[in-house]
Amino acid sequence: MTNFRDHAIKYGLLVLLATMIVFFSIAQPAFLSMINVFIILQSVSIVAILALGVTATLAVNGFDLSIGSTAAFSMMMASYVMIVFDGGTTAAILTALGVGVLVGLVNGFMTVQMRVPDLLATLGMMFLLLGLQLIPTQGRSIAAGMSLSGGETAPGKFTEAFLFLGRARLFDIIPVPVVIMLVLAVITYLFLERTRHGRVMYAIGSNERAAHLAGARVKFYRYVAYVMSGVYASIGGILLAARIGRGDVSSGNSLLMDGVAAALIGFAVLGAARPNAQGSAIGALLVGVLLNGLTMMNTPYYTQDFIKGLVLVAALMFTFGLSKKRG
Amino acid sequence: MMKSTLKKLGLAVASIALMATTGAQAEEVKSPFEGKGMKIAHVRYLSQGDFPELYLSGVRAQAEALGLELDVYDARQDAAIQRSQLEQAIMKGYDGIILQHGFTDSLKDLADMAVQNGIKVVAFDVNADNPEIPQINQDDHLIARMSLEQAIKDNGNAWKAAYVYVPGIPPLDRRDEVFTELKEKFPGIEEVARFGTLNNPIPNQIADQAAAVFRANPDITVAFSPYDEFAKGIKIAVDEAGLSSSVKIYSADISNSDIQAMREPGSAWVATTATNPAIMGQVSVRALAYLMNGENPGSQVTVPPVLITQEMLNALDIKNMNDLVAKVASFSTSDTLTPDWMPLP
Repeated sequence: MTNFRDHAIKYGLLVLLATMIVFFSIAQPAFLSMINVFIILQSVSIVAILALGVTATLAVNGFDLSIGSTAAFSMMMASYVMIVFDGGTTAAILTALGVGVLVGLVNGFMTVQMRVPDLLATLGMMFLLLGLQLIPTQGRSIAAGMSLSGGETAPGKFTEAFLFLGRARLFDIIPVPVVIMLVLAVITYLFLERTRHGRVMYAIGSNERAAHLAGARVKFYRYVAYVMSGVYASIGGILLAARIGRGDVSSGNSLLMDGVAAALIGFAVLGAARPNAQGSAIGALLVGVLLNGLTMMNTPYYTQDFIKGLVLVAALMFTFGLSKKRG
Repeated sequence: MMKSTLKKLGLAVASIALMATTGAQAEEVKSPFEGKGMKIAHVRYLSQGDFPELYLSGVRAQAEALGLELDVYDARQDAAIQRSQLEQAIMKGYDGIILQHGFTDSLKDLADMAVQNGIKVVAFDVNADNPEIPQINQDDHLIARMSLEQAIKDNGNAWKAAYVYVPGIPPLDRRDEVFTELKEKFPGIEEVARFGTLNNPIPNQIADQAAAVFRANPDITVAFSPYDEFAKGIKIAVDEAGLSSSVKIYSADISNSDIQAMREPGSAWVATTATNPAIMGQVSVRALAYLMNGENPGSQVTVPPVLITQEMLNALDIKNMNDLVAKVASFSTSDTLTPDWMPLP
């Protein structure tokens, strides 16, 4: 019985993923086509990148609620630099990444120096950014040829190189965002699981005081976690802008919840019962497979939300209910 | 009259003959797609509110009349989701796709890809920037013209106007062209104030602006607000300033709440011009059926609007959109794209 429980904890979610894939491919033969597999991966890539960022903050027992709005703000800033300043690809990307670093540092400052609880600090940051992203354009979306407040037309456009990031496919099949997501997943995995820094971060997460007494630079690593989270979110924002080809005020609304859900589902992958990079990526994939399959079977969106919630709840029960590490 | 009766008779004979041979359903007009199992996808950017709901009902009704199987993809006002759904629809392989709203920048390359793959595509109120994708629009010029003509009918051709306008929004820009022309044609019509914002909540923001405008220009008698959210704001300001008897509001578009606002006792909102979203849904499917049947509906399909006055709403006791559809025939049907072979809902 214990054995069964161990297996359920360890492989439950992977079995669920496999079952879903089998079910959808029987119901809709087009589901398993190579193109659709990459459509799924493309659709989860941005969420997965955000989930990887949250994972870093979760590792140090923090929580970044501002990822969605950081991504949205980066998207708007990158679009602004390109459309309004006609600044070109590199400037747009650097600006967006700068936004990520800055947001991470401020989040770190609030939680470390000002001792604001993580949830509250990043919630505040979320609201701040939601408003801030609309200030430069007075609440409007940014698109090529938009008219500025002075009445003249914006000079710039989305460059081919920038759109390449969100739309191009390597070898005509692998979307660029998927490649970026996989690279970031591997880097995050190696960093968290295979370096001393990663182990220190988990140590801080499980017992901050003990880690501090053992000589870990707690404050430094908390900053590192938030800057990682901010930068990952801004990479997500860049890819989002490149994908839709405009700075769209309503895009990015769902990113926070989907990213956090993926990271939390990730707790349950392989019985880790803690935040982990590979789990977050698989969690995002699970949600992506589910949504793609349900969309293909033409289920209405509210059912999809319901089922997404159901999977999250089930995954959390796997993690906390069945796990022996329950504290 | 005689001719059409004969035609109907001929059709009836033909369909009886068909029934006898194939056992197919008898209909007045037989869809060219009946029994072919053809599927179409409706990929919609707007999913919430009165408009998409009515539009979808039209799409459903016309697709059913044509015997087309319909799948709906809801992007819920998210351009990135609409993009993946379009991608998915192309991959799943439909015979036709109807795009509803969205943005040229985020759809164009995929829409091109759909056309290259032999999928017929029509776009409602979004420019797919491809000559093979017909664009279905409401006739914004006519909408503005009909409201303004009513204003001239009610107030003569010399009045002081408050005008609500936000540049850069294509339908508002088209409506603005008509107002600009009209002011040139009738020098007595004077625009004494121009304002507007799209900040949410729009009616509240407009109300604040309008309150200031009316205080500064008490001689305004006509407010032209070619978008219903603007008109709601003006009405708030007019009511608060107690000007309901001296100002008349002319607008565009219609919804359940607009009808209620227009029918409030002593309401200043006297007329609006609108196209039934359900009709636009039907026309979109008909345009797609043209393409699927190897015919060309034209690159721009516009659906003519209907003038709706406060007087008419009161006389017919119209309380909501359902009443309007039931009681005003010109609002509930349209002869746009109705050749003989087209079965109508």
